Amino acid sequence: MYILPFIYLSYMFISLYFLMLYFLIYRRHRKEIFQSPKLAKIYSVSVVIPAYNEEDCIEGTVHAVMKSTYPLQEVIVVNDGSKDRTAEIVRELMKRYKNLKLLDKKNSGKADSINQALKIAKGELFAVVDSDSYPAEEAIEKLVAYFSDEKVGAATCPILARNKNRFFERLQAIEYSAIAITRKLLEYIGAIYVTPGPLALYRKSALIKIGGFDSKNMTEDIEVTWHLTYAGYDRKMCLNTRVTTIVPDKFKTWFRQRRRWSMGGMQTIGKYRGSFLKRGMLGFFILPFFILSTFLGLLGLSIFAYLVIRNFISTYLFTKYSFAAGTAVLTLNELYITPTVLNYLGFALFFFGSIFTLLALYLMGENISKKENVFNVMFYLIIYLTVYPFIMISAIYSLIRRDLRW
Amino acid sequence: MVIFRNDKHVFWQAFIFAVIIFGIGIYIGYWLENSRVSKISDFYLNSELELLDVKISNSILLGSMVDKNSCAIAVDENIKFADRIYEEAKILDRYEGASRISDKNIRLEHKKYDLLRTQFWVNLLEIKKQCNSSYHTVVYFYQYNNADVDKKNKQAVFSNLLKDLKESKGRDIMLIPISGDNNVSSVNFLMKKYNVSILPTVLIDEKIKVTELETAQELENIIYSSRVN
Repeated sequence: MYILPFIYLSYMFISLYFLMLYFLIYRRHRKEIFQSPKLAKIYSVSVVIPAYNEEDCIEGTVHAVMKSTYPLQEVIVVNDGSKDRTAEIVRELMKRYKNLKLLDKKNSGKADSINQALKIAKGELFAVVDSDSYPAEEAIEKLVAYFSDEKVGAATCPILARNKNRFFERLQAIEYSAIAITRKLLEYIGAIYVTPGPLALYRKSALIKIGGFDSKNMTEDIEVTWHLTYAGYDRKMCLNTRVTTIVPDKFKTWFRQRRRWSMGGMQTIGKYRGSFLKRGMLGFFILPFFILSTFLGLLGLSIFAYLVIRNFISTYLFTKYSFAAGTAVLTLNELYITPTVLNYLGFALFFFGSIFTLLALYLMGENISKKENVFNVMFYLIIYLTVYPFIMISAIYSLIRRDLRW
Repeated sequence: MVIFRNDKHVFWQAFIFAVIIFGIGIYIGYWLENSRVSKISDFYLNSELELLDVKISNSILLGSMVDKNSCAIAVDENIKFADRIYEEAKILDRYEGASRISDKNIRLEHKKYDLLRTQFWVNLLEIKKQCNSSYHTVVYFYQYNNADVDKKNKQAVFSNLLKDLKESKGRDIMLIPISGDNNVSSVNFLMKKYNVSILPTVLIDEKIKVTELETAQELENIIYSSRVN
């Protein structure tokens, strides 16, 4: 199959291009990457916390939000038909916090919960905080400062892992750090494609203009960001604050979460496909970037599957014939490795990928000289990321079956 | 949408950087593969010279009077040469497996080696006739182009089998692997002459053809019985 080297080379070139893009943007903005605007205009802020069966963490989240250095007009917890003590805990907390409100409703999903809160929210800015996420005290204040610019429709900050005890959690922590830096770099080219659920601040008038969150989409945060981009609003990323969230500690939960993200991403691609190569960054960068990531992931998996199956069949036949002929199954000559140009390019790509990930960790305040961190980064790049195409396949299968469960 | 001052340029700048790094990678790869091809070319040139030397020596040794001593020297030279091109074939094989960009050049080297081996085989046939030598010529015709996965593995095992045999029998066996589908007229002619139509085929002493895998012992029996027949 002579087409394989060509596919590999294309794959490597595209990956190299994006790495170079990130490095160049970083080089230009490295001195200002942690700067954020000063608060120049005061806005009233409503915070919404959609919650479904969150009795374990809702109290902590409310406390964290209430510690905000920025005065909050109201904090609305939307109880999305929880079957546990979520509503009861919030009612108890309402005795302590006067600006805490509870919107009790039947279960209708996260996006609809946020939309319900949007209808009653009084603030000019509208913050969404996931019920398992703790924004830093100054987070909302720092985000509000971006809204002095009337073109800004949304702002977000780094999401970092709160639980980092287990190896699997530490891998996700690496991923979250890399995402945070990447998102900031994308801000400089106007290409932020998601203002994620753990903490995002929106201009309420912008949300109303676009009709709120899409309740049919499984990742309402991706969809709303694309919609705001489509409507001409800017999205901002503030690196000098943070929100921490609980990352899945089990593979199954993690897989489900990522599958949902992939499904939502694909739903969003479908919805905005008409903007391909139209309408500024949405059509010329975000949409092609998403399509390319999906396509490359699937292509990579297909090649991987092809090679695994081919090697399996080959090993089976070789072993069968070797047994029949009474020859050795493994000879010294077969262990002799002669590297190909693809090996060298793959190594170069891996090298640049490692440098970028280590840089992201360093910028996010991790100690990268620790041997353990270097090992984790290697594992993250070689093993962890290779699971994504499998998630993509699972997501496509679920979408085909119209299985839109979370 | 706000793109910071000069940031719109990063798109093409990143492209240029990616092209440069990628280009360097491809150039190094091309250089590496070509240096391997050059190495093979050097081997080939030396082998070609050596074969010529062997052939001239054979003509001198066997030209006027064929005696036992000159036959032994001629056979010995041929065995040494056979061992040499056998070792070079292994290197060629490895380099071919790692060739991704300049595939054409290495395939050309392979074709040249096929011709060299064929020439060597013809030389062996002459010596065998003149000296009534006891060694066995084992010519292994294999499929070089577009072999399916089944054939590739069958050929790999055939190759291991013959390698084992050569290593255990040493001077008794002259092993000559030749690709049978490389469109070389002399090879095609010899294949036709000895009625070889299936690939892979092991042609033993220009008489017996083995197309199915046998055990080393069975193959050894076939080889040693060929002289009796």
